[in-house]
Amino acid sequence: MSSRTHRPGPTLSIVRNAQDAAQADHPPETSGTRADGTLDWSILMAHAQAGDRDAYRRLLEAITPYLRALAARRIGNRSDVEDTVQDILLTIHTVRQTYDPALPFGPWLVTIANRRVADGLRRQGRLGAHEAPLPFDPEYETFQAAETNLQEEAADASMLRDAVEHLPAGQRDAIRMLKLEEMSLKEAAAASGMSVAALKVATHRALKNLRRLIEKRGGRS
Amino acid sequence: MKSTSELIDSLVADAKPVRRLRSPVMRALCWLLFAALLLTLVALVHGVRPDLMVKLHQPVFVVGVIAALTTAVLASIASFMASVPGRSRGWLLLPAPAVVAWMSTIGYGCLTNWISIGPHGMSPGETARCFATLAITGIPLSLVMLIMLRYVARLSPNSVVMTGSLAVAAMTAVALSLFHPLDATVMILMWNFGVAAILMVLSGLYGRRLFGWVTPQG
Repeated sequence: MSSRTHRPGPTLSIVRNAQDAAQADHPPETSGTRADGTLDWSILMAHAQAGDRDAYRRLLEAITPYLRALAARRIGNRSDVEDTVQDILLTIHTVRQTYDPALPFGPWLVTIANRRVADGLRRQGRLGAHEAPLPFDPEYETFQAAETNLQEEAADASMLRDAVEHLPAGQRDAIRMLKLEEMSLKEAAAASGMSVAALKVATHRALKNLRRLIEKRGGRS
Repeated sequence: MKSTSELIDSLVADAKPVRRLRSPVMRALCWLLFAALLLTLVALVHGVRPDLMVKLHQPVFVVGVIAALTTAVLASIASFMASVPGRSRGWLLLPAPAVVAWMSTIGYGCLTNWISIGPHGMSPGETARCFATLAITGIPLSLVMLIMLRYVARLSPNSVVMTGSLAVAAMTAVALSLFHPLDATVMILMWNFGVAAILMVLSGLYGRRLFGWVTPQG
């Protein structure tokens, strides 16, 4: 982790009059803007350490795009970049007393930023180790595989079973034996003591009744 | 999740004036001053080892103590230097020559004495008293170092803390060699090297957690 390997993109100002800035607690004329128009971050930080909120806000707003660029160079995901930028800002806030205005601001900032970027990458790596992005696979899509519709089918089945319960006894037995238990006509006739013809008639009537019952119910709901 | 501009707002609202840290060398000197004070106190309460005057005429002993002392001074300066963001990490290597000198005098003394005395040099009775000295010098020194370095917690704690522990271990070793008749044995190697190794391994493993304990807001 060397701060020297990352040459900052935007110009980082080296302090010319850092000692003055460090000593002056309430400098009204030093606005933190240099002759060439760039904000001198070192001076702003010196003011911020003295409790100047205005300078602090200008400093944070000035370094945020720079930090964002720095983080984006190594972190791909946009929302992770923003997280890391906020993390860097928080760290800067906690350790702002460690900045010595006699030293350049750039290395101080870049060291902290690199540390947080590395943390961000580590966090990403940890998540990546046990969280895979969902691949586009029909198996994961709702309503594609038959299994995903079991809930709806269960509702249908209970409605049908309910309708069967409302049939007259003869028709109900015929449906139960021939359709639900899948007996043959002969087996059903032996089991119930009804004739094959009577069973056929009962089944026919039962289906007609069921259709009527279910339609009525479907229309009602 | 707050947006970044909201975060800046809340940070600005929280921007109380802060006292800048003194220069790292100054802070290292403060720590060393505290260590000196502590050793003086222990010397007053416990008394120095009975044969200190004799030992001070033995070059190996004197070189060993001076090397340990140099290690402590350099390691504390190194850890305070490297703890400030933007300073070179190369500072962490500052105590390396002194460490080599320290360890080699111990090794040399141990070897020569082993040859003349043999394995009877172990003195378990001294061990308990050594442990007491170890605790009363090592614990306060570590705590003060930890508190002085608390801001490094969110930066790069491990290497800095390990160098800091090296300083503590070296200082403790100086205390042990001044207060306890331990030479001529394997014990000296064990105490010097063992303390350094244990402190550095522990700090490397638990540095982060210790800082979390000292700085509640992390």
